[in-house]
Amino acid sequence: MDLGFLAQFFVNGLVLGVIYALVAVGFTLFFGVLDVIKFSHGDVLMLGAFTALATYLGLSDIGVAPGVALILVFVAGIAGMAFVGAIVCKFLVLPLRGAPQLNTLLITLMFGTVIRESVRLFYPSGSNPKPFPKLLPDNAFEFGNLTLRLDSCIIVLLGILAIIFTQLFIQKTKFGLAIRAVAQDEETARLMGVNFKTVVLLTFALGSALAAVGGISTGLYYQEINFAMGLMLGLIGFSSAVLGGLGSLYGAIAGGFLFAALQTVGAVWFAVPAYKDVFAFAVVIMLMAWRPTGLLAERNEERV
Amino acid sequence: MTPLLKIENTVSGYDEADVLAGVSLDVAEREITCLLGANGAGKTTLIRTLLGLNPIRSGKVFFKTTEITGWPTHEIVRLGITCVPEGRRVFPAMTVLENLRMGGYLNESKSDISERLDYAFTIFPKLKERVGQLAGTMSGGEQAMLTIARGLMGNPELIIFDEPSLGLSPLFVKENFRVIQEINGQGISVLLVEQNVRQTLAISHVGHVLAQGKIITSGNTETLRESDALKAAYFGG
Repeated sequence: MDLGFLAQFFVNGLVLGVIYALVAVGFTLFFGVLDVIKFSHGDVLMLGAFTALATYLGLSDIGVAPGVALILVFVAGIAGMAFVGAIVCKFLVLPLRGAPQLNTLLITLMFGTVIRESVRLFYPSGSNPKPFPKLLPDNAFEFGNLTLRLDSCIIVLLGILAIIFTQLFIQKTKFGLAIRAVAQDEETARLMGVNFKTVVLLTFALGSALAAVGGISTGLYYQEINFAMGLMLGLIGFSSAVLGGLGSLYGAIAGGFLFAALQTVGAVWFAVPAYKDVFAFAVVIMLMAWRPTGLLAERNEERV
Repeated sequence: MTPLLKIENTVSGYDEADVLAGVSLDVAEREITCLLGANGAGKTTLIRTLLGLNPIRSGKVFFKTTEITGWPTHEIVRLGITCVPEGRRVFPAMTVLENLRMGGYLNESKSDISERLDYAFTIFPKLKERVGQLAGTMSGGEQAMLTIARGLMGNPELIIFDEPSLGLSPLFVKENFRVIQEINGQGISVLLVEQNVRQTLAISHVGHVLAQGKIITSGNTETLRESDALKAAYFGG
């Protein structure tokens, strides 16, 4: 197998890794501030992609230039999902505080199904896959067997920027400081004057906005989206976050890229792409048996 | 004169059981008021209740003339109440400096924050050497210093200390009590909740003794020292 061929797999894996990391960071943020798993996360990602698609169709009807449309599509998806994330938190997650965490998991799992089935039923012919517009330049550069597509590079760059932005926001801003305080010791954070509910709502908005970036990136990469895309991406994002150590930001990022690497290795190894998920999940199962609390296990003093 | 903090007939507890059975207590301006009591008397519950961390079942809490019964915690502390919580609760994954910044979370004035930072470092010079260290990796005594320094970063009129001597070596306890007295000397009122009777009474102006969810005796520290009720509260005698 030649080098160009391997490099191709590496680049493809990188795109997937960024998308998975974007989803995983959301899971880790939610768990960080509230110790909950929000299982509607994958379906919020899908809704973000459909919101972007609907926005694009509306904009192209009134003849907006593709470059402007690209920005507006991202803005609509991100703002829309930030809002949905905050709403889910306010009405489905926060009221369940004090109830067993399993209830939160179940209620958000059900809500995810509601989102998914609603898109299928109410989006025009929503049960069929939808072509996603080619909004990024699709120039390609050939290096032997490696075809480097410009759109893939932009997707990776955007995703990395989103993750760096999140990281800087959490490490450097006063609001980020409050998020970390709540994650480390909720009561003491409140004693310092942190408005707990506002912090939690905004954290959910932030995580869901990242899911929207992931959803739109998926659409741009495959040029196709469907109502069930959130199922697999949600599961992979959750697995990545747990693999890295739920609650740890770096763990989630590392977990996302690791999962993509496993899929890529699986695809190369078996030469039958369909086996890649079986391989990746099997390895994740083994890794979790070996390191039950994740690879970058969250210690109390290391949270978010 | 109206007291700075007034607690009236407070009832509170966990689940089915009431821990506080109608507690009334005043904290006067510029004084150190102490609340003594054995383990399980309800001291921490009282603090949690007045700060809005535990729901109040009945009774009222006033800060100056404002009724703060049932307010959310972040609104209460905004009025100028700071709590140095029990058990050295620093933010373990934050640096010393970040912990101090959290203490000044509600302080909007950058110049005031840097002044207070300097003040905290003059009281605890050791913290200045450790600004970049993660709080979770410090010793218990250092963490206790940090929680006190953090409490000074806001602009408190009242500081509530919840068992500052708990689990500390005698040397640190002595140092902490000296600092509390010094803080009070700056005109900040103090509610000091403690089990350590002798040293607490030595620095307080007024005291209350809590046993089984009720104030069993109150008074100035000289009378309290001789009080049988105080001995009874600790030794059940």
